[in-house]
Amino acid sequence: MFECKPIFNSLLRSKAGAMMLLVQIAITVAIVSNASFIIYDRVQYLKQETGYPEESIFSFSITSFVEDFDQLQQIEIDESVLRGIPGVINAVNLSEIPLSGSGSASSIHTAPPPDTGRGVRAAYVLGDENSVDTLGVKIIAGRNFNQEDVVIQRSPDQVATVAIASKSFVEEMFPDGDGLGNTVFMGPYPVQIIGVVEKMMGPWLKDRKADNFIIFPMVVESTFQKMLVRTEPSERASVMKQVEALMLENNGDRVVSNVIGMDDDKALYNAGDMLMLRMLLVLIVVLVLITALGIYGLTMFNISKRTKQIGTRRALGARKSAIVRYFLIENSMVCSAGLLIGIVGAIYLGDALLKAYSLPALDIMYVVVTAIVVFCISVLSVIIPANRAANISPSIATRSV
Amino acid sequence: MLSMKNINKVYQTEKVQTHALRDFDLEVSEGEFIAVTGPSGSGKTTFLNIAGMLESYSSGDYLLDDINVGKLSDNAKADLRNQKIGFIFQGFNLIPDLNLYENVEVPLRYRGIKSAQRKQRIMDCLEQVGLASRAKHLPQQLSGGQQQRVAIARALAGKPRFLLADEPTGNLDSLMARQVMDLLEQINRDGATIIMVTHDPELARRAPRNIQVVDGQLADFTLYQGAPDMHVSSHAAAQV
Ligand SMILES: Nc1ncnc2c1ncn2[C@@H]1O[C@H](COP(=O)(O)OP(=O)(O)OP(=O)(O)O)[C@@H](O)[C@H]1O
Ligand SMILES: [Mg+2]
Repeated sequence: MFECKPIFNSLLRSKAGAMMLLVQIAITVAIVSNASFIIYDRVQYLKQETGYPEESIFSFSITSFVEDFDQLQQIEIDESVLRGIPGVINAVNLSEIPLSGSGSASSIHTAPPPDTGRGVRAAYVLGDENSVDTLGVKIIAGRNFNQEDVVIQRSPDQVATVAIASKSFVEEMFPDGDGLGNTVFMGPYPVQIIGVVEKMMGPWLKDRKADNFIIFPMVVESTFQKMLVRTEPSERASVMKQVEALMLENNGDRVVSNVIGMDDDKALYNAGDMLMLRMLLVLIVVLVLITALGIYGLTMFNISKRTKQIGTRRALGARKSAIVRYFLIENSMVCSAGLLIGIVGAIYLGDALLKAYSLPALDIMYVVVTAIVVFCISVLSVIIPANRAANISPSIATRSV
Repeated sequence: MLSMKNINKVYQTEKVQTHALRDFDLEVSEGEFIAVTGPSGSGKTTFLNIAGMLESYSSGDYLLDDINVGKLSDNAKADLRNQKIGFIFQGFNLIPDLNLYENVEVPLRYRGIKSAQRKQRIMDCLEQVGLASRAKHLPQQLSGGQQQRVAIARALAGKPRFLLADEPTGNLDSLMARQVMDLLEQINRDGATIIMVTHDPELARRAPRNIQVVDGQLADFTLYQGAPDMHVSSHAAAQV
């Protein structure tokens, strides 16, 4: 019933068209499986938990153009004005905004110089006792800052002596699990870890150590301040609209800028990834379309080339279904060979990408699923031409010479 | 074995209507060898295509082995062609990408014959046409006469009782044409019924029965049985 052997033999005898298709299918599988894996990886990255209720938080900057006023007192006033807005849960002055792509990081050590012991890199932020609550993160061990912990820095050697850190930092710093209450050194300054936060990510999501984040209870004088506000999720938009006017109302000698939701801030930081994601999607669609069209076109071409042969086969007793089957089998053979080469190619390409761009190792499932999808698409694109072939009249056998 | 009554075939193209067959009547009995002649465009191929169920007809009745062909489904017709009819074409119609063995195998595969049995049949048929030694060759490596012999082997492979040939010698020189004709006569002696369209009067003369198609009708019905020397002409021995 199935004419696998003669179909295979006749394919070997006229390879040119089939080879082109085979190469195209191989390339499609190799590229599409890697592209879809990268997309998957990026989507995972983009939707990862950051620890923050991003939709309820926004931040903005204040730049003062006069210096002769009590900036530290102004911060207190600003925070309480913000807290007074209906819908606001808490507000805090922070040295840097998490997820924004700008911040500070340092190597934290187990001992002071010269013999610094083990070091772990972590991003950090300075803020007062409202930081944890405004960020909306959860302390799972130890305690929050109180007012006595907060150091108002009026000279450079006034630094915080306690800190709250993310769990992943504490665990990396103290693998034995005795991090809470222990002391680390930031340069020569000892800092005791008094609280551990389940999850809070630093300013750079793409950093390998994006999870290592520390809050020091400090407020520093500067003409450039950043404020972070947490609201009821439904109130954020209206609060964001009022904030500039309210800030300028209590002190007009400054500029409010960059009022932005935390989610939007993150999206801005990730704009490049989103663009890549879209381009990869387009690439996949285009490649798959070209392959489908290629199969469709090649089968159409094969049919017009073989009209007489098909008519003859029909005259010799082939049912229409046998003609359809012929083209399906032929396509499956070319496709399977292409898929095999494509799978090998995909693994090599994945390996190359891994080395060149430090992407995670390609999950073989992606190659398998892509191969199956490409196979199905190839079957779909051969069905229309094959049916057309089946409808060629057997009288062609005598009518065309 | 074959019975056509009042067969009409009308080709409908955009502007013109061609009446290819008009009230065509023909009876063919088992074992006959019939040569069909007639001017170009008279409807010979149309008749042969209808006889071989390659085309449908517009009206009339056609019985093949008492089966009313007009009522058959497409699949049934394909199966019937495969079982009862062998086709020989002017252009040989071998499949270029298949070797001789595979070409002869085509109708057997459609019939679903097992591989071992197929092999026997194929080699027998190639033997019969004198090309068994070239089973692995591709059609393009053969001369026209040899290709036509392969096509005959293919037509014979399914052991059809009915052979339809449309100008089987049309593309061959006279020596090769005679060889093919010898082969057909042999096949006829072995019991197959043959209808052959030809333009060659010499070959037509060798067939026991001649019919002439003119303008879609059976204009002349000539029986030469037992009189191989007589010429094809309008003053034929017997008219129906
Ligand atoms: N598919 C078709 N569509 C329209 N007209 C057709 C078609 N096939 C054949 N005809 C017409 O039907 C008539 C009979 O054609 P047919 O091929 O049967 O002639 P023929 O006797 O075999 O001629 P020849 O000796 O040249 O092969 C011709 O006028 C031809 O033009
Ligand atoms: Mg003709």
